[in-house]
Amino acid sequence: MGQTIRRLLVANRGVPAVRIMHTCRDRMIPTTAVYSTPDRLALHVFMADSAVSIGEAPPSESYLNSEKMIEAALSTGSNAIHPGWGFLAENSTFAQMVQDAGLIWIGPPPSVIKAMGDKIEAKRLAIRANVPTIPGISGVTEDKQILRWMKDDHIAFPIMIKAAAGGGGKGMVKVESREEIPQALAQARSEAKKSFGDETLLCEKYIERGRHIEVQVVADEHGNVIHLFERECTLQRRNQKIIEEAPSPSLNEDLRNEICFTAVRLMREIGYTTAGTVEFIFDSATKKYYFLEVNTRLQVEHGVTELITGHDIVGLMLDAAEGKPFPFRQTDIHPNRWALEARVNAEDPRTFNPSFGTITRLQVPQGPGVRISQGVYEGAPIPPYYDSLIMLIMTAGADRDDAIRAMDRTLSRNLRVEGVKTLTPLLLSIFRHEDFRKGEFSTRFIEEHMDELVSRFRERDSEDEVLKIAKYVARISALGPQEWM
Amino acid sequence: MENTIQHLVSPGMSPGEIVKRIRDLDGIAFTSTGMRDAGQSDYKNRHRIFDLVTLAPFYERMGLFSAECHGGARWHVGVMNRRESPFEEIRLLRERMPSVLLQTLIRETNLFGYRPYPKNVIEYVVANVDIDVWRCFSFLNDIRNMRAVAEVVMKRGRLFQPAISFTQADWTTNDYYLGVVREIVDLCGGVDEIILCIKDMAGVGSPERIRSLVSAIKDAYPDLLIQYHRHTTDGLALPALLASAQAGAKILDLEEDSLTRFYGQAPILTAHSYFEESGIKVHLNRAETEKAVQKVREWINHYEWCESPFKGFDHTVTLHKMPGGAFPSSFEQAQKGGFLHRMPAILRVMSLFNKIVKYFDVTPGSQITWVTCSGIVNKYAKEKGESGAKHILDLLTRFVEEKGQDLAAMEPAEQEELLVLFRNAPGDFKNLLLGGYGKLPMGWPAEWVYRSTFGDAWQERMAERKELSPLDTLQDDDLSRIRKDLDDHIGRCASEEEFILYLMHPKDALSMIEFREEFGETPLVLPTNVWREGLKRPGDKVEFELWGKPYCIELVSVGAEYEGEIHVVMRVNNKTRVYTIATPRAKKVEVRLAKGPHQIGAPISGNVWRIGNPARGALKPGDIVHKGEEIANLEAMKMENAILAPFDAQIAEIAVKLNATVQEKQLLFVLKPLS
Repeated sequence: MGQTIRRLLVANRGVPAVRIMHTCRDRMIPTTAVYSTPDRLALHVFMADSAVSIGEAPPSESYLNSEKMIEAALSTGSNAIHPGWGFLAENSTFAQMVQDAGLIWIGPPPSVIKAMGDKIEAKRLAIRANVPTIPGISGVTEDKQILRWMKDDHIAFPIMIKAAAGGGGKGMVKVESREEIPQALAQARSEAKKSFGDETLLCEKYIERGRHIEVQVVADEHGNVIHLFERECTLQRRNQKIIEEAPSPSLNEDLRNEICFTAVRLMREIGYTTAGTVEFIFDSATKKYYFLEVNTRLQVEHGVTELITGHDIVGLMLDAAEGKPFPFRQTDIHPNRWALEARVNAEDPRTFNPSFGTITRLQVPQGPGVRISQGVYEGAPIPPYYDSLIMLIMTAGADRDDAIRAMDRTLSRNLRVEGVKTLTPLLLSIFRHEDFRKGEFSTRFIEEHMDELVSRFRERDSEDEVLKIAKYVARISALGPQEWM
Repeated sequence: MENTIQHLVSPGMSPGEIVKRIRDLDGIAFTSTGMRDAGQSDYKNRHRIFDLVTLAPFYERMGLFSAECHGGARWHVGVMNRRESPFEEIRLLRERMPSVLLQTLIRETNLFGYRPYPKNVIEYVVANVDIDVWRCFSFLNDIRNMRAVAEVVMKRGRLFQPAISFTQADWTTNDYYLGVVREIVDLCGGVDEIILCIKDMAGVGSPERIRSLVSAIKDAYPDLLIQYHRHTTDGLALPALLASAQAGAKILDLEEDSLTRFYGQAPILTAHSYFEESGIKVHLNRAETEKAVQKVREWINHYEWCESPFKGFDHTVTLHKMPGGAFPSSFEQAQKGGFLHRMPAILRVMSLFNKIVKYFDVTPGSQITWVTCSGIVNKYAKEKGESGAKHILDLLTRFVEEKGQDLAAMEPAEQEELLVLFRNAPGDFKNLLLGGYGKLPMGWPAEWVYRSTFGDAWQERMAERKELSPLDTLQDDDLSRIRKDLDDHIGRCASEEEFILYLMHPKDALSMIEFREEFGETPLVLPTNVWREGLKRPGDKVEFELWGKPYCIELVSVGAEYEGEIHVVMRVNNKTRVYTIATPRAKKVEVRLAKGPHQIGAPISGNVWRIGNPARGALKPGDIVHKGEEIANLEAMKMENAILAPFDAQIAEIAVKLNATVQEKQLLFVLKPLS
């Protein structure tokens, strides 16, 4: 295309919006933020050079509203839209609308999004590109179909029912027995409809104790399809990742090369441009990997890849969108760090229940080897309508132990979030767990070790304790001596 | 002696060794009650461990026999009013005075509470409290009741100190007490591993009466060590203490002079100089004691608010017998209840009452006396005005003093009155009459007391009267069930210490645990003025250490109340923080939480976007649902959570509206199980 981005609208909020604006600022590209009513005073709004109100709290009225996004871009003189992750990021219709409006779409071609967004089609393309895939069936509507397939292909429980259009753990239900199938189908269908507007479901064998490995690929419009190596994102709760790292501790050099070039082969085959990720499930017992899906967008955990390679992936997306060729080749990519990422979600670390409210105090960690990606500031409310990610903490070191040490220090001493609960105690507990340290874990690690992890939560900290005392002093200062005394 | 540190006895010594050391001592030794009974008798047990620990370094060098720092009402008041755990107190004191014997006061089967506990509870609690000297008393002098405590204490190698409850009355003769001591010596297998306490809890023993009693015991048991515990209420404490020492008591209870008011123990420095002048050596480092006395002055003024509203010695205590430990609390209760002016009448009714039902006015007996007598006077005053109080007093005086408690000698109308006198007596009084606490020292009261208490059913109730000790009649409690109750209440596994607090006082222990979860170590670190009154003026600050690090809280401003809320701005270690404090006028939003198996609560906070399920549509009360059927669905952060019926049931109530935002555990459904 060869167009220059003059002003960029970030069709997102929170952590991704802020992250994208950082790179825009590096390049002196003015930004436009969009916000829903409860986000009027959100961090990404302050970060931007201008901001447009796009509607009420429910995502369907604001962050998922394609027309309003495009209107906001046009009205502010923005000539490009970056969708971030989540919301409209993998919506091919929206991507097409952006391009039809004469704007630059920072992402892969709409046709690629559409193909990859349909899990059934994606799997077909993967098979065509000679990429290993998980046994399964598509277009599932009733339990009989599933049972027949299980019988024919000798598949045993557990299985997974997924929204064909899904992603991010939504519309995915694990099924352990025949009796659960109807309920699981109903739930997956309903979530799929709500999150993606498409009820099509597929069903696959569930790889027990699999590990989740993905390859970051970047591609320009000049035929350069380059991988930035892999990430391991095995640690998940409710099918959503909470800890990621690069490189993967499960792969040896040969496997690493094989899996990375398999990803490149697929992306080249489908005509991918910009940044994207090929996800695999890795069965460490058999050393086999299977294609899961292609994420046709920037991913939450892209930062760990940036830390080990030194490349700014958002920057490469802007380059690709402007039609510039990448100034490097595959052989120029030399990761020389180990990086970890922890997702600080506003959730109860014991139950994962979302914790809304106001962040009354936020002390952001610092120190050697730390990168923070924040979506909120002290005093900001956390509205109940959107996802619970408030901050990404990344650490890097010469090796895995180094990175873990920096992460431990960061989570245990430097971070303070008051007003809402966060996953921090759980994250710390995981980083300190022997099995995590040895690199021995699966996607079920958290559910399998939950009680043990919870029992290791550091119960008390003098900073927290003194606040309890202060609360008492405030109360008695206001109310005077109490009856119970 | 002045400057050397002498540890006459110390923790870890066997009881036999301790007894031997005291027998061999030339002179006498003191127990300081400064950390328990002093505070209980004159300050409603409000002395905080924060202040008391400041005395510990001096106690460590004073040469005391022991520090009475535990038990009695201090345990319960600590949990209820100071929000301190007796276990924390022991730890703090042990750290700061490791050489001093820590002494408790325990109420035989009633332990640190007010009712008889079954044997397994007694054994469990006594085995888990780290105390060196166990003074154990019975308000009935029913020595049988001491058995469980004695066994565990002696088995643990700690010193058991059985006490005889003392009062001065025509029936409490030397012979009577010698009988009680004999039972004690039998229970404890001799006199070599115990110290006997004479517990003069009201401070009523006249010097010669005490001299005679101690002499009689020493004559009968020359090797038995005697410790005399006495309150000062009648004003005769010092001469009585001296008389006891001259007659052979080896250990006396005193308190720091600066703590002394009217109802606690006698002043320690005064006693020291009085005894030395009288030729009795006292094992005491006077210089260190003076420092302790001085130290008290640094904080005692913070406790003026909890002193008794009734001040000054009271020689009529020899009649009404209210124990020192009950003075401030009883008078406070009278003041709060608006009947302080009836106290003279109540005290006189008490002096007559204790001739009708004979036991010792000490916990729980003193509470039974107090509640029964104040109840009678207040009832008369309420029904017949203040002259009613005078009327009942006259009636009782005539009955007890003129007619020698001969019911038949009274006028018929008066008899009728007496026969309903105890009808509204508290349950504890009834339980006492029925033998629930053990046997009464002079046998059961007269029949008319039963008629008066129980009315027509008096004979049936009397037939239920128990002659056995509660130790032999009470069924063991199911400790694991009680522990589970506690865990359920607090939503986590309780600690061993929390469990013991809960065993003693369930309701108050729960309230303390809740307080401590919210306010952490506040009771242990805040100075008393701030603990009680907060910070008063902008710029006022409180500095303290927590876990070895310095902290400072400074008040910036307290806002005006608006709609039940006050904003308080403070600087906590220089960082400004705003606290929103709900005042008692704050509007409370009631959220019903699901309780029990038939109430279905929200598993997470979220939005109830569907009630029912797609197959059958919305549900309404009265509908039948089947086990595993989805009855509602909650959405939070775009994830759906199906609520399933846990059993076949009929919907009794739907407690939320569609699309309501609910919090975790909030009640959604009440189900009625089918079958």
